[in-house]
Amino acid sequence: MAKLRVIFENGEPERVIEFDPAKAPFHHDGRPGSILDILLGHKIHLEHACGGNCACTTCHVIVKQGGKQLSEPTEEEEDMLDQAPGLTPTSRLGCQSVVEDPNAEITVVIPRYTINLTSEAAEE
Amino acid sequence: MSSSASHAGSRPIRTARVERIFDHTSDTRSLFLAPVAGSTVRYLPGQFISIAITLPDETRTRPYTIASPPAWGMPFEICFNRIPGGRGADWLFDRKLGDSVEFTGPYGTFSMESAPAAEIIFLADATAVAPIRPMIQHAAAASAPPMMTLLYAARSPDHILYRAEFEILAARANGFHFEPLVLPQSQLYEGLRAEAERRWVRGDGNRTRQFYICGVGKGVIALRDLLRGAGYERRAVHYEQW
Repeated sequence: MAKLRVIFENGEPERVIEFDPAKAPFHHDGRPGSILDILLGHKIHLEHACGGNCACTTCHVIVKQGGKQLSEPTEEEEDMLDQAPGLTPTSRLGCQSVVEDPNAEITVVIPRYTINLTSEAAEE
Repeated sequence: MSSSASHAGSRPIRTARVERIFDHTSDTRSLFLAPVAGSTVRYLPGQFISIAITLPDETRTRPYTIASPPAWGMPFEICFNRIPGGRGADWLFDRKLGDSVEFTGPYGTFSMESAPAAEIIFLADATAVAPIRPMIQHAAAASAPPMMTLLYAARSPDHILYRAEFEILAARANGFHFEPLVLPQSQLYEGLRAEAERRWVRGDGNRTRQFYICGVGKGVIALRDLLRGAGYERRAVHYEQW
């Protein structure tokens, strides 16, 4: 079984998910077996304004452990990550980073803010 | 999002009412959405909103591009088409005048805050012209509009959306060129790629152009790779792939 530990920067209690990557998809958004797919399938919310299609950065996560057990980022993901606020060397998009190792042990941080760069404020 | 999931980090949910419905074709529709209580939505040309699709068993989040330019004010327009198994589009097709729609956003970095001075090439297929249209209108309204070309592919003349509007804009001789391409569905990207290669890769050595590409599937990536590989700056080739 693979293990995904989720730390929330907003102070919510951390969660640990044990799962079998071979059983992906767990939900219907993001790449099957992606961090987004795993979280949603285990009833943990991760924003995904674009529906998990690599068209925004709201599912930005920071990988603290196990980055090499995830799929390699594509150029599309790298292009999109360039726009993410709070970008770090281990940033990934939750919708694109797939857990490939059946025995993976991965830790991710969900940033407090996943704002999407421009004009997000809506006037009332 | 699952209705039973934690909503940590969720953004303010807004409500809009369907003020007008326009059918471009039997499978392509625009909804004009008016935020409630006379409020407005501030966005950049090219951005999208994220609509809560309330299905019987769950609520899903689905993105829809704002197809009208910000300068036109409210209501704003979203444009979409039916796709096989597309529960979000089916749900939107079921909305009636006066119905409420909940959304968050706007979002998205495939946008144009101010028009670049360089020549702009827009490449799109079918409803993927939705983010391109407000960019073109926005840039055309600039005090010194850049040279712009829209190369727009669709499977039938009816699926060339906003044709009259683009033709009128092109007729004003303000540097905007509109070039629709009608091709079989399976050849849309081959056609776009061949034209892009002929004109902007092999056609000259100018590599100062800016490209905005929007569409569905890997054809978008092939266009991106063609242009970046030909020497255009990475950040001059903007794209959004659905």
